[in-house]
Amino acid sequence: MVLKALKMAGILDVPKPRINSHMLTQHVSKAVCLVGRVEKVHPTGKTFTICDGEGKIATVELNEPVEDDLSGVVEVIGIVSNKGTLMAATYNILREDKGIPFDLELYNEALKVIHDFPQHYPFEVAASG
Amino acid sequence: MTKLTEGAIEALSNGSGANDVVLQLVNIRKIDGGNGPARFRVMMSDGRHTLSSFMLSTQLNSLAEESKLAPNCICILKKHVTNILKDGRRVVIILEIEVIKSADEVGGRIGDPVSYVDGQSKGPQSASNPESRPPLQAQNRNEVNRGFNRDFGKKAPSAMPSTPGGTSKVVPIASLNPYQSKWTIRARVTNKSSIRTWSNSRGDGKLFSMELVDESGEIRVTGFNQEVDKFYSLVEVGKVYYVTKGSLKIANKQYTTVKNDYEMTLNGESTVIPCEDSCDVPMVQCDFVSIGDLENRDKDAILDVIGVCKSVEDVTRLTTKTNREVSKRTLNLMDMSGKMVTVTLWGEEAEKFDGSGQPIVAIKGAKLSDFGGRSLSASFTSTLMINPDIPEAYKLRGWYDKEGHAMDGQSLTEVKGGGGGGNTNWKTLSDVKNEHLGHGDKADYYTCIATIVYLRKENCLYQACPSQDCNKKVLDQQNGMFRCEKCDKEFPNFKYRLILSANIADHGDNQWVTCFQESAEAILGQNAAYLGQLKDSNEAAFDEVFQQANFNTFVFRNRVKLETYNDESRIKATVYEVKPVDHKDYSKRLIMAIRKLAAQ
Repeated sequence: MVLKALKMAGILDVPKPRINSHMLTQHVSKAVCLVGRVEKVHPTGKTFTICDGEGKIATVELNEPVEDDLSGVVEVIGIVSNKGTLMAATYNILREDKGIPFDLELYNEALKVIHDFPQHYPFEVAASG
Repeated sequence: MTKLTEGAIEALSNGSGANDVVLQLVNIRKIDGGNGPARFRVMMSDGRHTLSSFMLSTQLNSLAEESKLAPNCICILKKHVTNILKDGRRVVIILEIEVIKSADEVGGRIGDPVSYVDGQSKGPQSASNPESRPPLQAQNRNEVNRGFNRDFGKKAPSAMPSTPGGTSKVVPIASLNPYQSKWTIRARVTNKSSIRTWSNSRGDGKLFSMELVDESGEIRVTGFNQEVDKFYSLVEVGKVYYVTKGSLKIANKQYTTVKNDYEMTLNGESTVIPCEDSCDVPMVQCDFVSIGDLENRDKDAILDVIGVCKSVEDVTRLTTKTNREVSKRTLNLMDMSGKMVTVTLWGEEAEKFDGSGQPIVAIKGAKLSDFGGRSLSASFTSTLMINPDIPEAYKLRGWYDKEGHAMDGQSLTEVKGGGGGGNTNWKTLSDVKNEHLGHGDKADYYTCIATIVYLRKENCLYQACPSQDCNKKVLDQQNGMFRCEKCDKEFPNFKYRLILSANIADHGDNQWVTCFQESAEAILGQNAAYLGQLKDSNEAAFDEVFQQANFNTFVFRNRVKLETYNDESRIKATVYEVKPVDHKDYSKRLIMAIRKLAAQ
């Protein structure tokens, strides 16, 4: 039900807390934002795994196959399934070819700060960020 | 009543005495010998004889100083070495001794001992019983006695191997002193310096030094000139060697942190022979100080630390005052105190250091500085060990992998970063005002992240002397010539230079700062010559440069000093360096600050 409601409301209009793979199970049926490095893309292109800043793997599932050469760091927005996989609504490749490479470990540290001090990072209450 | 080991004195004075004999201390006397450490001469009794030629090794001096060793006390002689002086007298050096009954408990002399005279014992007991004395036969003069009644005719299976091809047995480092010359030590090299050269009015030369360790202690060894050629390439850090015939002298504590009252100089007669069977020689002797305790130690103290390398910076190169280029690298060590400290490595060690996998790093002889709180520096006399094979390292690794890795570690050193040199002093602009930076006798330097909110375009350019290295303002002679007072010359041209007033702001405050040439060029993104040209030719484009430069954020390194003009004091802030923000570094610093704040 919740899942459906979320889909209907449109994923862009709800808060999407940034989480890491470890936190997926605490966010079942919720919209989240997960950033990680692409590990393996399934031959069908409809599912791939990403590795987060802690080295934990998460599985991402899509409705449409991904474009051919999905690699590097991606930011996936979607809803967490009961299995703890992420049903992607949209994803965005963070290009590393110019400037500084994306530091996933550092990102993870920042992410932990957000979750450790929710009183100072009230993103869940605010509209989507 | 405790029984003394009768006959022990006789055996000892014949050089065949064993350890673990029970003796009564008759007298103890301090010998003040020059500027070295005090030595204690001891007279011992076995109830039958007394012998006054006992010497306390200096590491046991505390026993005498604390009056634990006092006349009448009864002790077990646990370890000793017998040395023969040039005139044939024997000296028994006490390496380990245990008081089993204090002087108070005993209260008096046991028996009626008489002074023992070498080879010719007085007293009726021994005269009637001469065969109890081992025959005086050729034997090794330096003997670590480990078992009673050793048969010297055969080669006893010794706990310490004998030297290859030599007759002198191995002695512990702790027993070395200037009064004996025939010895061999078996020790591990824990540190070896590079070859250093000197040149002064008395000539020039070269030297190297190394540190040797065995289970009894450690010693510093120096070799000069020929000995450098002979031994430098042979000696490898971590390997074990037999060393003989070095000259011993009082250690100059100014140059060493090695815990030994003596040091050794290699001479023409010295030998250094590699030892294959080395597993029982300890790796290194360290006396680790907890990082949390560093705050209580004095500045410039030399100490040993061990910690997990939490993070490491890239190697940087800098030029010293003497125009030498050196490499430098800083790393953060954390130990079980949960505290962290910044350590600076120099030269080759800085270049070679690999901090990947968060290794355990032990540093012997690091220098404590009060720079930026508390920090450490590893100098050329320090020994750096990565994942050393010592219990402390395993304990620390276990702790770190289990719980330590989750700790953020409170640093004793001010958070550094941005590659702004070792002395980055991060402040917010309100910190600068609240802490009254610049109000002291000396100027203060700080680093901040701030945004340009206003640039004063007026008078930001001036006409300067065109000669190299002279940036003095020139006077327009109004005849096509420009005069520099400093150079006392007239030039047909000038160069434009920048002196830009800017207002910078962060989340808490704002500050007027003065930017000279390079920093102004960095802010404006154009060079002074081009800006001068624009100003003279295209005012709109010139204005545009200033508009574009607004609201850019940089890392500023500023100097602040209270200056007084015409009885009016105000803080003058000058920009020393402007750099783009390293967001990664900035984020790390913010995260660390948040964690630190939360921990309070």
